[in-house]
Amino acid sequence: MTRRPTPWRLLGVLLAFTLVGAACGDGDNTPEGNAADEETATTGQLEASPTSEPATGPSDDELAAATLNASGATFPEEFYAQAIDGFKEDQPNVTVNYQGVGSGAGRQALADQLVDFAGSDATVDEEDVAGFKGGEFLYFPTVAAPITVAYNLSGVDELNLSPEAIAGIFSRTITTWNDPAIAADNAGATLPATPIVVAHRAESSGTTDNFTSYLEAAAPDAFTLEPGSTVEWPADTQAGQGNSGVAQIVSSTAGAIGYVDLSDANATNLSVASVRNAAGEFVEPTTEAATAALEEVEVEADLSYDPLNAPGAEAYPITAPTWIIAYKNQPDAAKGNALKAFLGYVLGDAQEEAAEIDYAPLPDNLRERALAQIDQLVVSQ
Amino acid sequence: MTTLTTTTPPEAPPERPLRPSRSPVADTTFRLVSLACGLAVLVILVLIAVSTTRRALPAFRAEGLGFVTSRRWAPAEGEFGALAFIYGTLVISALALVLAVPVSVGMALFLTQVAPRRLRQLVGYLIDLLAAVPSVVYGLWGIIVLAPAVTGFYSSIADVFSGVPLLGRFLGGPASGRSFFTAGLILALMITPIITAISREVFDTVPAGQKEAALALGATRWEMIRGAVFPWSKAGVVGGVMLGLGRAMGETIAAALVIGSNPQITANLFAPGDAMAAVIANQFGEAAGTHRAALIGLGVVLFVITILVNVAARAVVGRNAETVLGVAR
Amino acid sequence: MSAAISSSSGAAAAAAPGGGRAFGVAKVGGTRRTKDRLATGLMGLALLVVAVPLGLVVFYVAQKGLAIFGIDFLTEDIPRDRVEGPGMGPAVVGTLLITAAATAMAVPLGVLGAVYVNEYGGKSRLARLIRFMGDVMSGVPSIVMGLFVYSVWVLQTGEYTGFAGSLALACLMLPIVIRATEGMLRLVPDDLREGSYALGARKSRTILTVVLPAALPGITSGCLLAVARAAGETAPLLFTIGIVRETNARLFDGTNTALSAQIFANANSPFQGAQERAWGAAFTLIALVVALSVLARVVASHFTVR
Repeated sequence: MTRRPTPWRLLGVLLAFTLVGAACGDGDNTPEGNAADEETATTGQLEASPTSEPATGPSDDELAAATLNASGATFPEEFYAQAIDGFKEDQPNVTVNYQGVGSGAGRQALADQLVDFAGSDATVDEEDVAGFKGGEFLYFPTVAAPITVAYNLSGVDELNLSPEAIAGIFSRTITTWNDPAIAADNAGATLPATPIVVAHRAESSGTTDNFTSYLEAAAPDAFTLEPGSTVEWPADTQAGQGNSGVAQIVSSTAGAIGYVDLSDANATNLSVASVRNAAGEFVEPTTEAATAALEEVEVEADLSYDPLNAPGAEAYPITAPTWIIAYKNQPDAAKGNALKAFLGYVLGDAQEEAAEIDYAPLPDNLRERALAQIDQLVVSQ
Repeated sequence: MTTLTTTTPPEAPPERPLRPSRSPVADTTFRLVSLACGLAVLVILVLIAVSTTRRALPAFRAEGLGFVTSRRWAPAEGEFGALAFIYGTLVISALALVLAVPVSVGMALFLTQVAPRRLRQLVGYLIDLLAAVPSVVYGLWGIIVLAPAVTGFYSSIADVFSGVPLLGRFLGGPASGRSFFTAGLILALMITPIITAISREVFDTVPAGQKEAALALGATRWEMIRGAVFPWSKAGVVGGVMLGLGRAMGETIAAALVIGSNPQITANLFAPGDAMAAVIANQFGEAAGTHRAALIGLGVVLFVITILVNVAARAVVGRNAETVLGVAR
Repeated sequence: MSAAISSSSGAAAAAAPGGGRAFGVAKVGGTRRTKDRLATGLMGLALLVVAVPLGLVVFYVAQKGLAIFGIDFLTEDIPRDRVEGPGMGPAVVGTLLITAAATAMAVPLGVLGAVYVNEYGGKSRLARLIRFMGDVMSGVPSIVMGLFVYSVWVLQTGEYTGFAGSLALACLMLPIVIRATEGMLRLVPDDLREGSYALGARKSRTILTVVLPAALPGITSGCLLAVARAAGETAPLLFTIGIVRETNARLFDGTNTALSAQIFANANSPFQGAQERAWGAAFTLIALVVALSVLARVVASHFTVR
């Protein structure tokens, strides 16, 4: 066996490369995040909201050190991330970690008691309730947002879609863009004959659940699939991970269409369709339209509600809810108090910044009920 | 002067500072400790095999043989047919081999038979370094750079082949950036350094005498390769290829990102599909009960297939195994 | 002898229809030459076909990664996706911590196990079984390792921790360490062992003071390669470590993150900031893995006792 020469030179080159890179890298980086954080810091103190007092939680007292682990929906992920950063300013001893893995995975992790709370765009199915090892749990609504119907069609900047058209597209009964069903609502536009590429979620998703439930409710004849968190999509459709995965597919594939939350759609610069609502108007997916959909909503006793296909001329019909699910009994005092404080922040100050990042804050009555529910959390001392 | 001392003193000569020799207890202890470690390896593997199979049993019992023969995977309805995923794994691995093997072997041949010495060493280093690039980096590059870029390329090829009888079914049809083909490409990139490294080692072991004899008989370099190098190294190269195959089949992340996550059995390579490891990664988090058992069952099936491939690789390579395959993984 | 030469040159002439007449020294005929040239060309082409995409990948990663790389990148907390700017400190710490713990578990176990198989076991059935199982284990897909640790550790302890990730990575590293150690031990000449026994040393002492030191460079090199492989793995960490955005230097307490996990998480993000950090993490990871591989080579070639 001949002796291989020692690669000192190569090692030296690598080291030099890295050092040069480090030196160059340092100079160029300006952490822009700090600017945004400073803004939240000035409004960071928990203050009384205009129409009511905060119903619960320690106010400015510093909490004992605690870490809250959470996972779940990717739909509200950006909102929670911003809330977590803002909450950190308030309570530096508390760390909250939220992992966006999909509503289904979040609910399962909570059931297995691997996380302290879960984010979910859908409520827990009846048959799964028994699997929650920590006992009874509570739903805390946090935000709502439009589920956009995003598309990639060059030359077509505005698109009107009826529920029947959307249902047909996702059921693959409508397969090209110039189909009469689509053209009927878009008199002004020239629609090409491009084949439609449908993008959907690969994993169990609350966004999927809400979107398909809407189609089932608004266009039951045209929508041939079974709604739910996991759908048996037709062949030759594409799947992505998370809302951002779907956004990426739509963004990189000509002729693609997919359902994406507004935050991701805007971040990816996707064109979004105006959808015809129950009142017959074509409405763009904006946070104002989402708020309009929330105005009339009926809220159940457990704070679940359904804003899909809401009445009202200005309501965006595919407005999706999302909740934080947490166990009623909190055996760990530090974590329990931290959870209460975090929920108070999410339902308090965080609501004010929601619209900036494309989420619709909750209407006051719903928010107050949620704040009141925080008291129901039983924290052992 | 001529007498020899025939006895060996049990103690070392006093001048040399030697540690006192260990007592029998220490010796036996060491032996037991190393035995325990060896057994630990056995125990761990048995534990993996047993615990995963046990957790997968509910799904196997529910589906029976249908688990591997049924194409329908519908967790919401309790149906778990893994055929589409098995198909996907086999397709992308086969594709990766088809793309990687000629190129890797060709490159290894070039490096060992044709290239000047300095080029050989330099490229050899680079290949070994590239073998260390983590698969997630390939996945990242694949999803952000490759998948968007190749869609147009696939469409052009699909247009060319759309009418053609046999090839049209494989390469025609609607093309998608995230598809079997893209996953196969990424996997091919990943396993090329492994196959090249092994092939290189194997080609290096061909006795110079064989090569020189061929050349002496008037063979051109290519004829020499065909006549002297190939017959000698066939087993080793095949073994290396099978190791690459094993790696490709078990690859989770890179495939999960670019395969399209659409479980379907179709001849069209440009269509999105799904693979066993990828679907486990995608769906496990949310799964419960039988769904979770079914995903673990997929893991067991994958485990069994990759073991068979690895064992076969070792059998084929035979004596060369340790020296040649030491570079892999 | 002249008859032999003329008959073989006759054979050569017969085998070279293009008109080559003699015996290797003279020119090779048309088709054979073309084939040879073609073959050489194809082999060179193979080199390009491999080098270009692989080079592209590494170059792309380096270019994008260097743009954000720096001390800030390696030490600051991870900002949320939407925010641009450097920060992968927690992931760097996580990768180092989790991989170090995995190494601490896998290396002693693997080295001693290989010592047993090679030095004590010999041809015994147990030794052959262990060797075979080690090979089998190297075929277990990394995702299955992750599932295994999730089922038997994470669910039982009720939390995601960095340690769970270390367990999964250790299972992955074990077969590699065993194989490398075994190979190296086998290469140590028996003369060394016999000399040691002749001096009165017991087997354990022989192994510890003669055999292992002789094999050490190769073992170290093999272990470093195993570490490099473990540092780059993502699948085993998916269901075991959770996530953090602030550095968690505690292995047994609380969730953690790693460079590979962050790359995977950010790969799908539409936000510029998250994507840039993903490239930076990819660059950092490649640099780490390459450094380990180069170190492995240096140790193997520089320190080997010949």
